[in-house]
Amino acid sequence: MPKLKINGHDLSLAQLAQVARKGLPVSLDPAALGEMNRSLAWVSQAASGTLRDAQNRPQAVYGINTGFGSLAHLRIPQKDLLKLQRNLIRSHAAGVGEPAPRDVARAMVLLRANALAKGASGCRPELVERLLALLNAGCDPIVPSQGSCGSSGDLAPLAHLGLLLCHLPEDPDRETGEAWFGAERLSGREALAKAKIETLPLGPKEGLALTNGAQLTTAFAALALYDAQRLIRLSEIAAAMSIEALRGVTRAFHPAVHAMRPYPGAIHCAANLRHLLAGSTLTDTIDGKVQDAYSLRCTPQIIGSARDALTHVQAQIQVELNAATDNPVICMDVPEDIKAFSAGLFHGEPVGMASDYLRMAISEVASLSERRLYRLLSATLSVDLPSSLATNGPGLGLMGLQTTAAALVSENKSLGWNASLDSIPTCEDQEDHVAMSTTAARRAAEVVQNVTWVICIELVAAARALSCRIKDDPSIQLGCGSKAAFSILSQHQNPQAVPAELIEGIPALIPEILDAVSAACPELQDLDQTP
Amino acid sequence: MSAIILTGLDLSAEEVWAVSHGERVLLAESAAVSMRANYQDWLDLGAPDVLAGKEAWLLGADEECRAPSAIRLRAFVESHCTGVGKLLPESWVRALMLCRANVLASARSGCRPEAVQLLLDMLNARIHPKVPAQGSVGAAGDLAPLAHVARVAFRLGGQSNCPKGTLPAHQAMADLPDFTPTPKEALSYINGATLSVALGAIAIVRAEKLLTSSEAVLAMTMEAVLAQKACISVVALEARGHRGGIQVAKTLNKALYDSELCNDSRKPDAFSIRCAPSVLGAARDTLNYASETVHCELNGACDNPLVIDGKLIEAGNFHGAPIGLAMDHLKVALTQVATVSERRSFRLTHGDLSGSLPSFLVEDRGRNSGFMLAQYTAASLASECKGLAMPATVDTIPTGQHHEDHVSMAPIAARATLKILDALSEIISIEALCAAQALDFRLEGAFFNAKGEKQIGPKARAASAVKRTHAIIRKASKRWTIDRVLHLELQACATLIRQGKLLEEPSPW
Repeated sequence: MPKLKINGHDLSLAQLAQVARKGLPVSLDPAALGEMNRSLAWVSQAASGTLRDAQNRPQAVYGINTGFGSLAHLRIPQKDLLKLQRNLIRSHAAGVGEPAPRDVARAMVLLRANALAKGASGCRPELVERLLALLNAGCDPIVPSQGSCGSSGDLAPLAHLGLLLCHLPEDPDRETGEAWFGAERLSGREALAKAKIETLPLGPKEGLALTNGAQLTTAFAALALYDAQRLIRLSEIAAAMSIEALRGVTRAFHPAVHAMRPYPGAIHCAANLRHLLAGSTLTDTIDGKVQDAYSLRCTPQIIGSARDALTHVQAQIQVELNAATDNPVICMDVPEDIKAFSAGLFHGEPVGMASDYLRMAISEVASLSERRLYRLLSATLSVDLPSSLATNGPGLGLMGLQTTAAALVSENKSLGWNASLDSIPTCEDQEDHVAMSTTAARRAAEVVQNVTWVICIELVAAARALSCRIKDDPSIQLGCGSKAAFSILSQHQNPQAVPAELIEGIPALIPEILDAVSAACPELQDLDQTP
Repeated sequence: MSAIILTGLDLSAEEVWAVSHGERVLLAESAAVSMRANYQDWLDLGAPDVLAGKEAWLLGADEECRAPSAIRLRAFVESHCTGVGKLLPESWVRALMLCRANVLASARSGCRPEAVQLLLDMLNARIHPKVPAQGSVGAAGDLAPLAHVARVAFRLGGQSNCPKGTLPAHQAMADLPDFTPTPKEALSYINGATLSVALGAIAIVRAEKLLTSSEAVLAMTMEAVLAQKACISVVALEARGHRGGIQVAKTLNKALYDSELCNDSRKPDAFSIRCAPSVLGAARDTLNYASETVHCELNGACDNPLVIDGKLIEAGNFHGAPIGLAMDHLKVALTQVATVSERRSFRLTHGDLSGSLPSFLVEDRGRNSGFMLAQYTAASLASECKGLAMPATVDTIPTGQHHEDHVSMAPIAARATLKILDALSEIISIEALCAAQALDFRLEGAFFNAKGEKQIGPKARAASAVKRTHAIIRKASKRWTIDRVLHLELQACATLIRQGKLLEEPSPW
């Protein structure tokens, strides 16, 4: 397998997904060492006390020789600088709740490693290499998914990673964090032993460098975005199949129309629908019908808006993937003597707001899908399809699945509070506006999962509706995209399965469907996945 | 061996909770007699003809349905087996089965006692069907979750957990007597918002436990911040008249009757303390309303059609609105308990607000961050509760081909309530840890000047109730002197809060 090299500058969303989910091996780009070592040298100077202030005392630098948060005014003597970092990790490991999914935990580790590789944190390259060793060995931290405010970064979740990597020999097992290794959930110490990775006691500033950024937020958000981009494509395929099954009117997707209100997302969506439906003998065949219901006709406006939203989210995430997110950051190229800058680069707001927007956009895609599903199943709306698409004897056909979809769409709405809109002051009012970005991103990931189910349900129903049309008239030709998806879905129709079982297996078919449709319709325009 | 006796008339939330934790259940003879009579009424009404119309709609078929063919039964149950996502925990499935059994046992559904006995046999043999958690709108009831139970109960298919492991239905059910349902029984197995009320019952038991725990912790916080006692004046709360507020004030007075740390010499406290009886009291009033609604629903005829006094009635009793609204209201109330507790943790950890206690409640601050992150965690969870508290029942999406054109979303509200309760248990435990730590300083007479220098005054003694609370917390988590792994302390303390260790009678979560 090719190896990914990280340097803090050019990590892509697709690479992140590959490392998180496919185990793509990662190493530290040697090109990153220069900048890392430069800032490390400055931090070492500050930590050793050779850097002096105007009164010839050791220069105070936040987090190196001061307390944290509102305790920043307190100076820490040099002999205690390592203990300071160790205490930080231990007292900040304050997460609660279910562990983050394993792919999310892996993404978090990679993102923190990449942020440190940028060379703005003044940590040793060994710290990055050790993080990458965890990833390459499949030794993945158990990170409680709740309890972080996303400012100043995901302190608690990252501190749990710190317990795993940086515990001391004298620590009892239960204080060494936890990790998955293979299929086992182990104490940090056992997991590292099995993975043959040694702990790395923290150097000055390294506890802070390991924890001071919104990487759990970004891990949730980035993987949710990656999935959402595929769902957009999948929802266009499902829409095309439904439009065809409902014998829709394709004039609503004419390029001349969309050029008049030129949102890029709508233009792309309309173009994709035309490509997917090209060659269909089902569309535009109802004599005298001039326009369809909104759930068909306004597909470009709604899915298009989601496309535009995701474009914005992608831009935000792309910045964060390669950002320095620490405090202080070390800027070696400035003329000032003090190279450490206390600022707010850790704050989760950019990703939190983007996550809320992602959640809203993708929710609407499902909301629209559910309405098309309703039409497919409703005898009075479906243009002569069997009621509830009940095609195999007595029973309710697929009616129950529309209820499922409605429940999921509604659940998305009640998950619809914008988490990033909230803030509760923390840390003695020093951190008086926090992002709540971790919650926003986790919610976005939950909603993406719900939306996946809804689109899968529409695919099943649309495929069954198309098979009804074909049964009525075997000479029918499907559109080139719907045909490719239909042929996969129709191979997976199990008449014995109850609806829940029918749907269960569909998410696993998504990659196959996307590939087959892309091969059949090479003109399709995708959301940009690799910058 | 102890067992709960199911009458169809008086099932309580506590009993639902007990059965969810493994308690056995027996059908009352009186209920069996009533059911037998009710079933005869159903037959006398010419039931098969009545149901035929409904079956035509349900199954797209109109054959004689008193003894349905296996195919028709299968089609009916299986086509309702929808739903996606994670599986419901087994304890919730037990609650679901029990609550549905009680609806049928109330003898208004035209079912035979054997139909209830089957569910009870499954409970007592620990046969728990696999039920997907998501995908019910709670309108014609929680059709899908109940259909997954029915599918296993009628041995049509599906998987079930049982003492031998996860097995196909016919294997899991092999030791139970065979049962073939009438069409009405098949319908009555699934036609009601019973997942919603089952989760609601568990929720109100947990909520009661957490509210009482929150009051015990509040008493400790009040001593720790040297609060004035006027704010818990029963006279004041009675003058306003809300029952919940009066109850909370009385509880706090009882807890603090011998308090030396709380007195009336200082200026009034901040709202998170001074207004706590009003806030927690309002939550109690909401809990009372939710509890009344749940108890009504637990013993209500949540089914359709009904057979009452020899008459057949087709109504909409299956709709989840009553329980959905109660859960939404409870969510908001619990979120208030969460947000007000978080503010007290903020004060306790705030050097300028706690009354001469050190920042983050740690003496050697700077090197140590003490309880800094505990308050972050509480803030994050409180914020998450706000999101979960968004009402589910304000939404409705038409389903069932125009027929079910207004649905309740009650199960979504109920599941969110349980999530809020999980978060709330953590938030209260954080306040408990902070308050116990703060109290330790008070007991040794320590206070800290503006420079953070420690001074020692006369030692103090805690009120007896607070002393007990403090000792229980300290048993799980020792006093904080140098930084240690906070997660482990939070875990230990949240566990004891969930197990009701601060109450007179502890019990599992």
